[in-house]
Amino acid sequence: MDNKRKYVIPGDVVTTGPYRPEQNVILEGNKIISTTIGISEIYDDSVKVISLTGKYLPQINDLVIGKVISHSSLSWELDINSCYVGFLPAQDVFGRDFSAHADELTSRLKSGDLVAARIANSDRTRDPLITIADRDLGKIDSGDLVEISPSKVPRLIGKKGSMIQTIENATEATITIGQNGWVVVTCESHEGLLKAKKAIQMVNEQAHVANLTDQVKEMLESKGES
Amino acid sequence: MGGRESTLVLLDENGIRCDGRKVDEPRRIMIKAGGLKNADGSAYIEFGDNKILVGVFGPRDVHPKHMSNTDTGILRVRYHMEPFSVSERKNPAPSRREIEISKVIKEALLPAVILDKFPRTAVDVFIEVLQADGGTRCAALAAASVALADAGIPMRDMVAACAAGKAADTIILDVNNEEDQAGQADMPVGYMPNLDKITLLQLDGVLSPEEFKKCVKVGIDGCKIVYELQKKALQEKYFQNRGDQ
Amino acid sequence: MAQHSVIDDLKKSKILELLDQGKRLDGRGLDEPRKLTVEVNAIPKANGSARVKLGDTETICGVKIQPDRPFPDMGDKGIFICTAELLPLSHPSVETGPPNPDVIELARVVDRGIRESHMVDISQLVIEKNKSVVGVFADIVVVDYDGNLFDACSYAATAALLNSTMPKWEMTDDGPTLVEGGESDLPTTTIPVSITMAKIGNHIIVDPDGDEWASMDCRVTITTDSDGHIVALQKGGHDGFTLDEIIKCSDLSIKAGAQIRETLKNAVKAG
Repeated sequence: MDNKRKYVIPGDVVTTGPYRPEQNVILEGNKIISTTIGISEIYDDSVKVISLTGKYLPQINDLVIGKVISHSSLSWELDINSCYVGFLPAQDVFGRDFSAHADELTSRLKSGDLVAARIANSDRTRDPLITIADRDLGKIDSGDLVEISPSKVPRLIGKKGSMIQTIENATEATITIGQNGWVVVTCESHEGLLKAKKAIQMVNEQAHVANLTDQVKEMLESKGES
Repeated sequence: MGGRESTLVLLDENGIRCDGRKVDEPRRIMIKAGGLKNADGSAYIEFGDNKILVGVFGPRDVHPKHMSNTDTGILRVRYHMEPFSVSERKNPAPSRREIEISKVIKEALLPAVILDKFPRTAVDVFIEVLQADGGTRCAALAAASVALADAGIPMRDMVAACAAGKAADTIILDVNNEEDQAGQADMPVGYMPNLDKITLLQLDGVLSPEEFKKCVKVGIDGCKIVYELQKKALQEKYFQNRGDQ
Repeated sequence: MAQHSVIDDLKKSKILELLDQGKRLDGRGLDEPRKLTVEVNAIPKANGSARVKLGDTETICGVKIQPDRPFPDMGDKGIFICTAELLPLSHPSVETGPPNPDVIELARVVDRGIRESHMVDISQLVIEKNKSVVGVFADIVVVDYDGNLFDACSYAATAALLNSTMPKWEMTDDGPTLVEGGESDLPTTTIPVSITMAKIGNHIIVDPDGDEWASMDCRVTITTDSDGHIVALQKGGHDGFTLDEIIKCSDLSIKAGAQIRETLKNAVKAG
């Protein structure tokens, strides 16, 4: 760990001086203090801490996996593994001529269904607005849901998608990664499915390891029981 | 309690206390971060014979909705003792003492937590005392702070805690159960070590102005010792096994 | 809160699909309970205690033994009370406040399993007839939830009772007075073991985990004693069992119960 990166816990002073406090740090006097457990990074004019824990905070345009938990006559509520429940309006699925009398929400989505969705809007005053109106979004018909820590999602994707491609290529699985830490894995072969899931858990548990991609490759290429 | 001998020596001529400690020595402390599968954050502490488990959920939706705050998340704390945690079995229903301690711990944590980025949510801290032996509220507060950090709740500092007191006319650090019962004063202290702020302070007993100043300082010293163990607990969970395996 | 109790449908279908092939999500056999670890004397200041992990479900039982007044029409019997509480830190959907019917059922079923087996012989717990008796309180708390609280709580209570030592009191003018050095092991007569089985589709599985619990149609908890007799039973859930299924469950409960009994015995010896 070089000088510019440190392990910090809440209250630790990352640095002092004229830096702009970015995520997970605050300014107290002239001290920049970490507000979370993580790894601090000091840039030329700003400081931030990459958190190693904590819930997913919805950001506009994030791809997330959601689970339908309830509905009214006008919308569905989705668990998106966050502090807030996602709000999916009926119009998003039925279109503008949606009619609460004629259109029955459960005909499209019911409690327990998983969806690939996008955060359409997220502001302080209301629950995040969800959309499934794109071609690559919508109800998930098959696959296994795997949970990882949201802070490990970048590692699972890898630089330019390198990690996820490694896993998909080796197992022939299709993996949909939600920024909220929920990941759906589908694979024709049972062995491929198990290997893909194992690889994902490896990344979740060992995201900090330097040559992780190599270790994952090695695990995927080994024959024998998974 | 009938039958207890009153020949307990709180401090002998060598400056040794009834459990073998010196006046500025805390009991054995062990803190572990994590451990519970379902809670968003958790911690377990052994502070002398105290055994306390803390689970944190949140930030999460508030029910009923009218309890939520549109500008910021709220903090809720429940300090609860199991029936088997004390000498005489305790009724499971919350006592007034538990309710007061819940409030005091909440107000000790509020200065540390930053919840304005989570309007309309609540952070719930559930403290369960499995075994009690004097100083539970300090042990509970220290563990709660670790559990909150484990859950990723943004905090401007950790909150450490330790009690100081007076027995046999001497200011002592970390009062155990016997000293609490037979001693002259008990002062639980909660403290943010980097911001140098006291967030929990209570007093039970009689102290002269000089003794009072000394007692608070001794309490803060104890908090600094506890803080190192809180750090260690988080480092062990998050920063071990770094680098090549 | 609803969201945390909703299982995703794909997982539910997968569970049934695997069962049709004789498999379970976590690789267990249909008759196989999860790994059980028992740590006795977890709460040294209590008279007896045990911390139990059944898979990821974790419970703690502390036994307190202290003098008490007998019940009005049972002056020649001691008191045995078993309670169970679901702690809010065990699962996000648990609310604080008065217990809901599920938790009340849990407590009463666990209590009955131990009481009906006569594990604790309350006729041996009298200090002075009609005046003073010994009260044995087994309080169980659930610390982490992953299905099958009935068995996890029952094992914690049974192990804690086997681990318990009982002080001796005698009646004096001041009431029941402790006799120094009069401690003995709490007298127990048998080791009750509960086995909970769930029905999913047409399959019977032993020790359902959290996902299986959320997918099941109905369940039955059967408690057996050291002689292999069935001493308590509770059926729950929204569907029903056929007679053959219930008989199969009763056989399973004896077989699986015997193995769990050995685990409990060994844990108590080791502690």
